Amino acid sequence: MKTGLTISALAHAGLLLWGLISFNARPLEARPTDSLPVDIISTKEFSELTKGVKNAPKVEESKQLVEKVAEPRTVDDTSAKISEKREVKTAAAEPPLPEPRPAEAKPEKKPPPKTDPIAETLKKEEAKKRAEERAKAKQQKQQQQKPQPKFDPMQIAALLDKRDPQRQAVTGEAVVPMPSLGTSSGSASKISQSELDAMRARLMQLWNPPAGVQNPQELVVRIRIKLGRDGRLAGPPIVLTSGRGTIFETARDNAIRALFRGQPFNMLSPSTYEAWKEIEITFDPRDMYNG
Amino acid sequence: MRDPDILPPYGVLDRRRLLIGAGAAAGALALPVQSARAVVQLDVTQGTVQPMPIALPDFVGGTPGDSEVARNVSSVITANLRRCGLFVPIDPAAFIERVSNIDTVPRFADWRTINAQALVTGRMTRQSDGRLKAEFRLWDVFAGQQLAGQQYFTVPDNWRRIAHIISDAIYQRLTGEKGYFDSRVVFVDESGPKERRIKRLAIMDQDGANVRYLTRGDDLVLTPRFSPSTQEITYMSFGQSEPRVFLLNIETGQREVVGNFPGMSFAPRFSPDGQRVIMSLQQGRNANLYVLDLRSKVTTRLTDTPAIDTAPSYSPDGTRICFESDRGGSQQIYVMSASGGTAQRISFGEGSFSTPVWSPRGDAIAFTKIGRGQFGIGTMRPDGSGERMLTEGFHNEGPTFSPNGRIIMFFREASGSAGPSLYTVDITGRNEQRVQTPGFASDPAWSPLLS
Repeated sequence: MKTGLTISALAHAGLLLWGLISFNARPLEARPTDSLPVDIISTKEFSELTKGVKNAPKVEESKQLVEKVAEPRTVDDTSAKISEKREVKTAAAEPPLPEPRPAEAKPEKKPPPKTDPIAETLKKEEAKKRAEERAKAKQQKQQQQKPQPKFDPMQIAALLDKRDPQRQAVTGEAVVPMPSLGTSSGSASKISQSELDAMRARLMQLWNPPAGVQNPQELVVRIRIKLGRDGRLAGPPIVLTSGRGTIFETARDNAIRALFRGQPFNMLSPSTYEAWKEIEITFDPRDMYNG
Repeated sequence: MRDPDILPPYGVLDRRRLLIGAGAAAGALALPVQSARAVVQLDVTQGTVQPMPIALPDFVGGTPGDSEVARNVSSVITANLRRCGLFVPIDPAAFIERVSNIDTVPRFADWRTINAQALVTGRMTRQSDGRLKAEFRLWDVFAGQQLAGQQYFTVPDNWRRIAHIISDAIYQRLTGEKGYFDSRVVFVDESGPKERRIKRLAIMDQDGANVRYLTRGDDLVLTPRFSPSTQEITYMSFGQSEPRVFLLNIETGQREVVGNFPGMSFAPRFSPDGQRVIMSLQQGRNANLYVLDLRSKVTTRLTDTPAIDTAPSYSPDGTRICFESDRGGSQQIYVMSASGGTAQRISFGEGSFSTPVWSPRGDAIAFTKIGRGQFGIGTMRPDGSGERMLTEGFHNEGPTFSPNGRIIMFFREASGSAGPSLYTVDITGRNEQRVQTPGFASDPAWSPLLS
């Protein structure tokens, strides 16, 4: 008993001693982290974040051309002369035809086995030559052709008008003589994703698709709506999907009913009206049936 | 008995509006097409399944004497739509507009205020020849247009069926699926103490009305099944001797034994064309499936196993059969061709499976699952995938599908209760409801649509 106690005490003391010597504790160091630059942005700005590189230089906001302060009016092509009179659209303003593509010799098919390789090569050479000649002739022919204005039956009046094209001054809230690249409709005022999400949330709440249907893919309906500035439907919804049968009719009616019940869509801000005056909505219950 | 007639929609597409519409369409064609601009796209991939609020004001009586039947018809329609779980009839006390003439366009704003999404108006008129004319119109309140409108003629005693037919028309137009209200249910009515139960065959409308007894209760009856013509029932009965499969004509009450077999025959069911009856025949300690052609009386053997094969049920196209067999040790569900051959087991997992029934839609097989001391009703796809339980408890058994495959009726006996009752449940597992019967009831079988 006594010897056991002594051995145990000695062993424990030895172990503690060994631990004190062998485990050299490293000091816990908390290095200060680098400070992070923080910008406070609104949810709207967050959902409008553009794709890009984090450390790239910030670009200025795109600017639309504005030559006169008045009610906003935009233009696509600035090449025409500005006039106070009515706009004159002529065929001369039509863009020229696209450059003819250089014709290339088509790659030869793989020769079938068991043929004379020399004859084949000769044939190939000949074919190549011929193709080149043909391509040249084609190119010349196309060059001889004058760029004819494209015939657009919707713009016959413009084709007949032989005057120089004129346009009216572009107006806006502030004069901007040097516009940035862009299109007249792709304005900086965009519909924000959070507004769309709010609209989607309302439609999800109101849309009542038939449950327990055999083929849920029959229930997919695409609808285009036109909205007024007050967020109410400006006309009857246009169903873009075609289908038949009672299942489709019901799915269509249910989707339209959700749109009628959802108005006014006052989550869409009036300042971006141009962006949401027309919306295409796809009603697809795929998330309800997969789970 | 009736000749349905499409009512012309009022107010929505009268001739003047049609002309204006045509003019507008022509104008739209003449206008230059707008340059294609990027339209905002929105994907709605989820909805909220909720019952649709529907306003069902009392039908109007065409003559002063018709107001009672008109009220009855609308109350049956209201009860039907409420029970199916897909609609919420709005309390009539909330109605703002009083409908007195169904030929005028309702004031949709009044109905929108109480959040009614659909509105049904109707009229019952006694004709000079004694028949009853029933008319109804179904309106989409938010779109402001008529969705359906029909008229029927019938004998006055048939007002209940007219109400069911109108319910079906509303159901089909609003859900896109066929209705099931104009159908009947045959079941085993149970009365008397548990030791000496009297079991009678009974038939009723799907809502529990018009109960009629088909047998007197001298013999024990089990597993009644409807023929597709809805005029005949096949069932199993313990007569004086061995259990036999019988055929019963509902209208005439005529009864006959199906086939002439030495052992007992049980678990009969009609083929979808009504020409054949499939059933189990006992052979010693085993049972095999047989098909009997009702015209030629030719019997064909479908299975030959040293096991008990029973509870066969045809697929709606008649090409396959699902049945229950204990050939693998425990009761499981198998599927095979309607002409016999090798069977494929489709039920796996814990417990045993019995009483498979093929859905009239063809997309599901309902079954009773027994495991861990519980009886549950569930469904699976015909390939055995997608198994899910709709209800579980002490004793649930004998599923049968509504004609549109949307609802399953079964019988349930709670622990310690004196007898079973009938229940319905949606195939989504929602909306479980008890069916009112005069006494205890078991073994329900739903008929196809009557019309």
